Amino acid sequence: MAHLADLLLLLVLLSGFLILGTTRLTTCIRGVAVQGGLLGLLPLALQPVPQWTAHTLGLAAGTILVKAIALPWFLTWAIREAAVRREVEPRVGYIASMALGIVAVAVASAVATRLPVPGEHPILLLATSLSCVIMGLLVLATRAKALIQVVGYLMLENGIYVFGLTSVDRVPFLVEIGVLLDIFVGVFIMGIVVFHINREFDSLDSARLTELKD
Amino acid sequence: MTLFFLGLAAILAAGVSAAVLQRRPVVAGRAFALLVSAGCVLAAVPAVQVLAGAGPLRARFGPWDFGIDLLSAAFLLVVLGPGLASAWYGNRALGDERDRPVGAARTLFALELAALALVVTARGVVPFLVAWEVMAVLAYFLVIFEHERAEVRRAGLVYLVATHAGTLALIALFAFWAGPSGGLGFDALAARAAALPAGGALVLWLALLGFGLKAGIVPLHFWLPDAHASAPSHVSALMSGVVIKMGIYGLFRVVSLLATPPAWWGWLVLALGIVSGVLGVLWALAQHDLKRLLAYHSVENIGIILLGLGAGALGISYGIPLVATLGFAGAILHTLNHALFKSLLFLGAGATVHATGTRALDRLGGLARRMPLTWVAFLVGSAAIVGLPPLNGFVSEWLVYQALLGGGTGPIRLTLIGVAGLALIGGLALACFAKVCGIVFLGSPRSADAEHGHEAPRGLLGPMFGLVAGCVLIGLVPTLAVRPALAVGAAVAQVPVTAAGAGVIAALTPIALVSIGLLALLWTGSVAMAAVRRRRPITEAETWGCGYALPNARMQYTASSFAAPLLATYGPLAGVHEKRSPDSYHSHAHELVLEGVILPAWEAVRGALWRLRPIQHGRLWVYLLYIIAVLLLLLLYIGVAGGTGGVAP
Amino acid sequence: MTGWALAGLGAMLALAPLLPGVAAKTKALLTGRRGAPVWQLYRDLLRLWRKGAVYSTRTTWMFRLAPVAGVVTPLFATMLLPLDCRAAVVRFAGDFVAFAALLALGRFLLVLAALDTGSSFEGMGASRDAAFASLVEPALFLGFVVLALGTGQRSLSAMLGGDAGTLSWGAGAPSLAMVAVSLFFVLLAESSRVPVDDPATHLELTMIHEVAVLDHSGPDLALLLYGGALRMGLFAALPVGVLVSRAGLAGPLALGALLAGTVVVAAVVGVLESSMARLRLSRVPQFLVAASVLASLGVILQLLT
Repeated sequence: MAHLADLLLLLVLLSGFLILGTTRLTTCIRGVAVQGGLLGLLPLALQPVPQWTAHTLGLAAGTILVKAIALPWFLTWAIREAAVRREVEPRVGYIASMALGIVAVAVASAVATRLPVPGEHPILLLATSLSCVIMGLLVLATRAKALIQVVGYLMLENGIYVFGLTSVDRVPFLVEIGVLLDIFVGVFIMGIVVFHINREFDSLDSARLTELKD
Repeated sequence: MTLFFLGLAAILAAGVSAAVLQRRPVVAGRAFALLVSAGCVLAAVPAVQVLAGAGPLRARFGPWDFGIDLLSAAFLLVVLGPGLASAWYGNRALGDERDRPVGAARTLFALELAALALVVTARGVVPFLVAWEVMAVLAYFLVIFEHERAEVRRAGLVYLVATHAGTLALIALFAFWAGPSGGLGFDALAARAAALPAGGALVLWLALLGFGLKAGIVPLHFWLPDAHASAPSHVSALMSGVVIKMGIYGLFRVVSLLATPPAWWGWLVLALGIVSGVLGVLWALAQHDLKRLLAYHSVENIGIILLGLGAGALGISYGIPLVATLGFAGAILHTLNHALFKSLLFLGAGATVHATGTRALDRLGGLARRMPLTWVAFLVGSAAIVGLPPLNGFVSEWLVYQALLGGGTGPIRLTLIGVAGLALIGGLALACFAKVCGIVFLGSPRSADAEHGHEAPRGLLGPMFGLVAGCVLIGLVPTLAVRPALAVGAAVAQVPVTAAGAGVIAALTPIALVSIGLLALLWTGSVAMAAVRRRRPITEAETWGCGYALPNARMQYTASSFAAPLLATYGPLAGVHEKRSPDSYHSHAHELVLEGVILPAWEAVRGALWRLRPIQHGRLWVYLLYIIAVLLLLLLYIGVAGGTGGVAP
Repeated sequence: MTGWALAGLGAMLALAPLLPGVAAKTKALLTGRRGAPVWQLYRDLLRLWRKGAVYSTRTTWMFRLAPVAGVVTPLFATMLLPLDCRAAVVRFAGDFVAFAALLALGRFLLVLAALDTGSSFEGMGASRDAAFASLVEPALFLGFVVLALGTGQRSLSAMLGGDAGTLSWGAGAPSLAMVAVSLFFVLLAESSRVPVDDPATHLELTMIHEVAVLDHSGPDLALLLYGGALRMGLFAALPVGVLVSRAGLAGPLALGALLAGTVVVAAVVGVLESSMARLRLSRVPQFLVAASVLASLGVILQLLT
């Protein structure tokens, strides 16, 4: 089962690179949807079938529902509503983003081998978690559009979710709270976005958010 | 050592003869060639003997301590081989000069060769620094040969400032190392190595600064492109092929004296290697000037050498003799190889500049027909510098790859980052030399200058083909060079030669077979194809213009357009500034460090110092007052400090 | 041992022209056409070989050397590959460097031949060819790094053949998969396939490899086409070799599996070509860097285990 989990984690990383490297908004959203789905399957892959509990199954189903279906659909809807089908328009180029991404993964892996986390986990789990957080921050920092920043935020959340999986046995409901936070924050941000769109049709550029400051 | 000093004397005599025989140019040329050749051959004999296994040599005259060990021997060959070729070429090229002081140029060149030979054989701080400074200052005079041009003077000035900053760092280095009472011989330094604070951190930093400035490590390379491009071509060949290698020699010498460099230094050198390599070749790709482009490639190749050197140092730090030996051996061999093919390329560039009168890539073209032999020499040099078989560049890069991948277990495995770096460098270098060869020698002439190109005279071709022979020989029979290089590498790492492992030695025969087979098959294939073509109906026509009937030379791809897609990928790193208008396009490759950092910083400092200008106004009595004030301050200081016992009066 | 290696060399030399045919046939079938037979390239080669040639008056010997090098360099590279998953005809420590350098030599001379014609179109093709090749190089070497790290070996024969060291399916699976996919990307770039280049394009401005050989005709073009097919075979054999050599096959079985694998890869290329368009030129570097990213992930995974 460990191999399957490794494979899922690897695909999570690859979806991160897809988001960093793509020029299209929709591909970004698809990427984060795939990432969510993979994360949903992860708790199942981490334990052999006989040890599956209702808790595991619920967690998987909830995660997939929220991260892979609801939020991406919501984002796609927002794109359609706001009629933004343009390209990603990054502040830092795609190639540079991908290069930074691989540096992030390398650093995260190096840190993960030294991190004192209790319990037995694949090193890749920690490495992926940290990488996802850094990549999410990277997207937040280097992409101008508010919609993609939501994607970046989701990546960051996903990283924290993976980290939560390391302590799912000891701290019950930690991950669930994370998923709930997802809904809450997702809706919250979407609210801002939609509100923003309703006010200004011409721009979803978060640089304009600076105008809100006093 | 006697032979070495005899050779040195002959080289000096060549310099003297050139000065004495100024009035009789033909005799002067012959005497110079004869004496320099004799000198280089004589001085090289002991180096070859040492590399072949005869123990190290030593000669002492008080503090003037000289010796040839394996490391010195390898670098002596780097100096003498390409140095001799450049001297011959320069001798012939200077023969055409009318208005400039030819005798002085020859004398300076011979003295420079002697100084270089002394740098690599010095065994004490004093002879080393003296030889180093003589070498640096003579190089300045060699660079400003065409001093009536403003950009040459500027290049010379920047070089002079940079090299003296470097010398200053070196003086500091040796002062700290020797300590207040220590001996100044290299042996004494080696004995003190263990006592250096923090594992010699200060010494290692100063070495990187001082020797790095000479070697042209990014970001200390800023003086290099201008100086190497502005000098006469045989001087460029010597500067790029040999003089910058003295920086590498210095780093090697420091490592071998320190015995065990700390790991951080190895990583730093490795990182600098990747940065220098990638940025050097990228900036080369952006150049429009043939000689500037070649100069940037020296920065790139210094990067490759540093990759080997860094891997070697890490091999020592982590106690893996295999990596140490292979890394140092790769670096040494690449130093020699780069000296061969970079001198060759600069001499080839010199021949094209001589024939066409321009260094601008986009004014050249089609020279393969007009100067076929120069073209062959230049092509061999290009293929060698890109690291293609069956030439010498491939052999040394192969060694460096081995070192980078050779690291057992633990953190040293991360040297594999260098593999990706080296691969990237290789790919970019290929694109860059495809550009140079294609734009300069192939296609149609892009200007009248290029149309008037003519083959270089025999006196210029001879030295070039001597270097070609070196490149091909090391490529086809790598044993000749790899075994001595491994011996030197093992000596620097202070491990037995067998540490390099059997794999590398065993690989030499198959490499030779593949290289020779490749050459043979290319030859027979070409002959066979020629026979096939004779039996087919052959038509000669204008190049297919995709339907356009009147293609002309101005429609050809230019150097800028060839490099554009790659440079676009690297964005601002490439330093290309473009000016577009509907009817014109102009692009300029910035020297990012010089124009972006050094000059603005210099301006800022000058601006700040300008405010001190009022103190200097030419009235003598005020100056006397200054002196009195300083004297009083000093006395006051001694009085106060002396009271606390700080300074003895 | 060497017997099967030689047989592998012969088979590769003989069967390489099938691969572009297989790719084209797959594409044709998937897009609802009958398509040319898979051995179409053999016919083309024969036809071109018998034809006369036109040479531009501007060209020099470089233009005539490049086609020969286009066959000779992949030929020597093939000798370094262990096609029977045991040992190659020629093997030595660090021969992967020679593998890459030999192919680079072929490309160098090809680019020069394109510039030799003085045609702006061929200059364009040469420029793009060189640019994209430089971006692929790190991916190829990083792939070799993974294999070298995993097996502790330094020669292609030991990385892809022999007992394949400690790097096997199981613990090494994720990084092997990364390498295989990365090498597949390298194949697409090196043999000028969609999404990097389109072998079927008709507009010179959008061509890369095709336009670089625009002026070659007759026997020269035949050599170039054959050399291209051989390159495709080599780069298809790399990812397949990574996978097959871990299956514990040897001798004729391994050779058969490898050759069948390259045909499958060619078919996959065909599927890809029928399902996606080539990328915009300015987006190609992204794709090529992605290959390096995949290989780097493989390296990181290898270092983690």
